[in-house]
Amino acid sequence: MVPEYISFVEKFCTGCTQCVRVCPTKSIRIRNNKAVFFEELCIGCGECIRVCPEGAVSSSFPAIEPCMKDKLNVVIVSPVLYAQFQGFMPGDVLIGLKHMGFDHAIDLSYYLEMFQYAVDEFVLENRQTHNAPWPLISPICPVVIRLIGLNYPNLLDHILPLRRPVGLLGDEIRKRLSHEHKIPEKDIIIYHITPCHSKVVPDHSGFMDDLGYVDRALGINRIYPELLAKMEQARELELSLFPNEHFSFVPSTRGPLWGMSGGEIAGMRIDGVIAVSGLKETMAYLEKIEMGLFSDMEYIEFRACTEGCLGGPLTAVDRYMAKSTVQKFIKMFGIGRRLPRRKIRQLYDKGWFFSQLKPLELMGVYQSKRKPLTIDDMKKIEKLMSLIHGNDCAACGAPDCRTFVEDVVRGEAELKDCFKIKE
Amino acid sequence: MSSLKKSFNIRSRDFIHAGEASITVQQLLKQMRIDPALIRRIAICGYEGEMNVVMHGGDGLYRVEINSDRIVLEISDQGPGIPDIAKAMEKGFSTASDEHREMGFGAGMGLPNMDKNADEMFIESVPGSRTRVRMLFLCKGTK
Repeated sequence: MVPEYISFVEKFCTGCTQCVRVCPTKSIRIRNNKAVFFEELCIGCGECIRVCPEGAVSSSFPAIEPCMKDKLNVVIVSPVLYAQFQGFMPGDVLIGLKHMGFDHAIDLSYYLEMFQYAVDEFVLENRQTHNAPWPLISPICPVVIRLIGLNYPNLLDHILPLRRPVGLLGDEIRKRLSHEHKIPEKDIIIYHITPCHSKVVPDHSGFMDDLGYVDRALGINRIYPELLAKMEQARELELSLFPNEHFSFVPSTRGPLWGMSGGEIAGMRIDGVIAVSGLKETMAYLEKIEMGLFSDMEYIEFRACTEGCLGGPLTAVDRYMAKSTVQKFIKMFGIGRRLPRRKIRQLYDKGWFFSQLKPLELMGVYQSKRKPLTIDDMKKIEKLMSLIHGNDCAACGAPDCRTFVEDVVRGEAELKDCFKIKE
Repeated sequence: MSSLKKSFNIRSRDFIHAGEASITVQQLLKQMRIDPALIRRIAICGYEGEMNVVMHGGDGLYRVEINSDRIVLEISDQGPGIPDIAKAMEKGFSTASDEHREMGFGAGMGLPNMDKNADEMFIESVPGSRTRVRMLFLCKGTK
């Protein structure tokens, strides 16, 4: 089942068509001056949330209060969070989170480094075995995975079959803390603070297994004001209130760098890598890969948001300001490796990184339920297109003339909605 | 039986727009929900064909005919033609210029790749005058 990522507030919608035009999968139309939405085409990119001037589109983000009493509240922190605060160190952020009431605040950076190593290993192996076709596609961005599932199913076998770092870490934390505190696993609530709109709604398709291991996702913008206040308070306090926290080690800059486009591949040893960010660019590249191009490349990092996760829809500060903070971290800490490769290699050989579900099994999961167009439908569409000669004005409520005509042929719109035809 | 015909112009040396016909046809076929593997084969053949025209040929034409049981793709150009077709079909044989190679083309895999991906391929050429490549794809049964 495909989850619903966004919802429209009808009374705010003015029918301006901005969301209609920006949607990469053409899932929105305006009917009777209000937005209507084919949810099965939605990939959760959040472009419509960003563009709506009236605030009528919102994330179907469950309204949850962080921190439950009688439970162990653990939070996994996306390093993008550190980049939101100028003049604070990553450690300050983790301390601030504890002041908010989380029992453990855990940095994701080391798991990101482990993931990078696993990708290196997989690519080196694939040079010999050719178990997967070139170029391999990064499994990190959930929007890109859904986009491939919906529009480029041919490329599913290009997706690297590794589990994503949040899933790996979530799984590990639950086991470890349950053992350490001697409490049942269900009494541990794992939160994930993320800039990513598409992670806040559980996705049961299986491959996107972050939320299989994380109980609740929290958008950065939701906790930002409170966290900032707590961090400022904590500055005044004695830091020794929180000695030797188990998981809250100082992160390497590899983590914050990961949030930038190109940050994932920057930490890898393999060559033949490209980083592509932005939905338009991603789609152009996927089309080309489908035509057989870039087969001389080994790994492509796709990010649906321009500039990478720092540009996510749920961030609190502007992506370029955040980027400047990350660059400051790089100057301070460098991006050296911190983990012993031999140990990660052992985990890799044990199959610890591998996803239970092969990406290829997503074939058909995201397929549109609208009926396919027949040859006769296509001929009708061609004929109507030549009648309209439009310039994609979107006044009819469809993103462009072609989509409008398709809706007409499908019986979902009426030809009289078009200005050009009226004339 | 009804069939959908579409044609696109291909301009010589227009590397910027090369591949657009293939992308348009690819999107069309996706909406008709044809087998994704078949769409990919058609896209690869179309793109290789377009690139051949852009690099070697004069202006050309990309034509596609979609029927329920088969899809025919025809790429033709106005010269200069292929003197030795058997040689051109060999893997790795290429007449690409240094300029093309600098752009990453000219590995000599164009025609062999098309032959591999199409169910049937016919190529006819009048040296000094024109070339026409016709490819046939069967919608049922895979190669």
